[in-house]
Amino acid sequence: MKLLSVQELKTYYKTRFKEKIVAVDGVSFDLEEGEVLGIAGESGCGKSTLALSLIGLFAMPLCYDSGSIIINGQDITQLDKETRRVNVLGKKIAYIPQAAMNALNPTCRIKNFIFDIMKEHHPQMSKEEVYHLAKERFKDLNLDERVLEAYPNELSGGMKQRTVIAISTIMNPDILVADEPTSALDVSTQKVVMRMLKSLMKKKIVKSMIFITHELPLLYHIADKIMVMYAGQGVEFGTSEEVIFKPLHPYAVELMTSIVVPEVGQKAQKLSSIPGAPPNLKYKIDGCRFAPRCKYVEERCKTGFIDIKYNEERMYRCLLNRKVVDEVGA
Amino acid sequence: MSNYFKYFLRKFVWYLFTLVIAIGLNFILPRLIEGNPVDYIMAKVTKGMTDANSIKSMYENYMAEFKLNLPLWKQFMHYVAGVFQGDLGTSFGQYPRKVTEIIGHALPWTIALQLPAIVTGWVIGNVLGAIAAYKKGIYDKLIFPLTLFISSIPFFVFSILLLYGFSIVFEIFPSSGSYGYGMDIEFSLPFIVSAIKHHTLPFLSIVLVMIGGQGIGMREMSIYELNADYVKYSKLMGIRDSKIIKYVFRNAMLPQITGLILSLGTVIAGGLITEIVFSYQGLGTVMFNAIKGRDYPLISGCTLIVSVTILISSFLLDVIYGLVDPRIKAAQTEELS
Repeated sequence: MKLLSVQELKTYYKTRFKEKIVAVDGVSFDLEEGEVLGIAGESGCGKSTLALSLIGLFAMPLCYDSGSIIINGQDITQLDKETRRVNVLGKKIAYIPQAAMNALNPTCRIKNFIFDIMKEHHPQMSKEEVYHLAKERFKDLNLDERVLEAYPNELSGGMKQRTVIAISTIMNPDILVADEPTSALDVSTQKVVMRMLKSLMKKKIVKSMIFITHELPLLYHIADKIMVMYAGQGVEFGTSEEVIFKPLHPYAVELMTSIVVPEVGQKAQKLSSIPGAPPNLKYKIDGCRFAPRCKYVEERCKTGFIDIKYNEERMYRCLLNRKVVDEVGA
Repeated sequence: MSNYFKYFLRKFVWYLFTLVIAIGLNFILPRLIEGNPVDYIMAKVTKGMTDANSIKSMYENYMAEFKLNLPLWKQFMHYVAGVFQGDLGTSFGQYPRKVTEIIGHALPWTIALQLPAIVTGWVIGNVLGAIAAYKKGIYDKLIFPLTLFISSIPFFVFSILLLYGFSIVFEIFPSSGSYGYGMDIEFSLPFIVSAIKHHTLPFLSIVLVMIGGQGIGMREMSIYELNADYVKYSKLMGIRDSKIIKYVFRNAMLPQITGLILSLGTVIAGGLITEIVFSYQGLGTVMFNAIKGRDYPLISGCTLIVSVTILISSFLLDVIYGLVDPRIKAAQTEELS
């Protein structure tokens, strides 16, 4: 069952000088129930903006331009602000912020924050009921229930991140959008958090998940499908096996080859990176956005709009056909 | 015994230690001013007298009366013994009035002037700062430069400007004193009206400066808090704006509490110049005259009161902070472990 369908979503940042920076430019994808979609790409490619846009909360400087976000058949971009706040946020789609370390009000006990959230969405519930619910949920997710009584400064970084995850999912949202939930954590804490996210799916607390990261190995662990983003556009879409092991778009190829796997004698080798920098999204870009950095660039790549191409069930935004990329890539 | 309590016990001992040093300095510092107080008194009393012998014996009488002929350490012993008995000595300049009596008369006037002014200025300043930060646009463009302008004027200049404007150019308010000339302190309508009239200008001069300083601070803190990650996360969890504003302003207020309590600590000394400009009969004027007349016991008495209020308010600051900010409470309890 199709849970989420995003169609040609376009959102932009308005700068102080009234310039428009189109950070998400015509992104489309579908998310089935029970699926985990991974979104990968380098810093500044619009991953986090996409995450914020999906929630449907457009607060300055982020603005909505066009496109639709359809959850369970309802386009949330068409709802008015108040309905969206009460009925969508945290209930249909919930968000885990990038820096969960600072996501909690320092002078508010965790339980009081949960009370405040529940008061907005389920005003008929009493404090005791909410407390009971939170306690059960924390127990369910292997979190110490004493955390509820704590202030954020009394929790460690990993604990804070897990607390934020538990708070975000307290209303059993259909979709959970996790924006780099592990990037500020050490490796062992990362594993605990990943396990927690997986158990959310297994326990059917959330139906589907969108997992945003720049750490590709993590994605292979959790994602069923992967979308690779470049300069505000989705450039490749496929199952995680396909995208990680047989990428088609030249950018995805470069991204996958830049994964660092520890090997003997590696210190002496130069770390490969993609030459050049992503384009400035302030200006309209003609042709393929990756063309200036692409090894396989041809004259026809430099003009016109490059649309998504469907090829053997795969989707990618490139004029070159798969064979060419394979040959040169090998 | 909890760590938290231990922290305050230790803090208290430190404050006590500071008080002892303050008492020492209060005694020493006035005596380091050049000049002998008895000379000032003699100059007044002996006007027209020619008999050198009787002048000399009067001088010696005063020296003995004020114990100025004793060595400094003996004088200090007498002073300390007096302080612990609640006796701050006899004023030289207003002999034979007791220092405690003089201070007791002046203190209510100072407190009546400063306390409402500080609290009013603090409240208005914080509200304006918060509005400027939250509403932005025209509010910010109006409030921010205004508060910046006011707070950058030295408050004594401000007092003089007010005095000139509202009491000399436009004769709306009286220019000096605490109540009408020739009036008795009593609970009657004319007296109260007169006291309020005399109170207005010094009050305004303190309030306006306070508004400026607090407004700027609150604006900065609110802008910082409004951009904090927890604001975004709370929004994304669907918490209504009015609730989030409560979070933000509570957190932005915390450093402002320091401003309030520290100002309350200087409640006695802070208005010194204002009182002098308006010849208000508070402690500031008393202290000013005491310094001019080398009135050692009165200077020491005034500075002692100032030291004690500052110490008490700093101690209260510690206690209150621990109660309202869990981060500070954590730091306080950790300090011991």
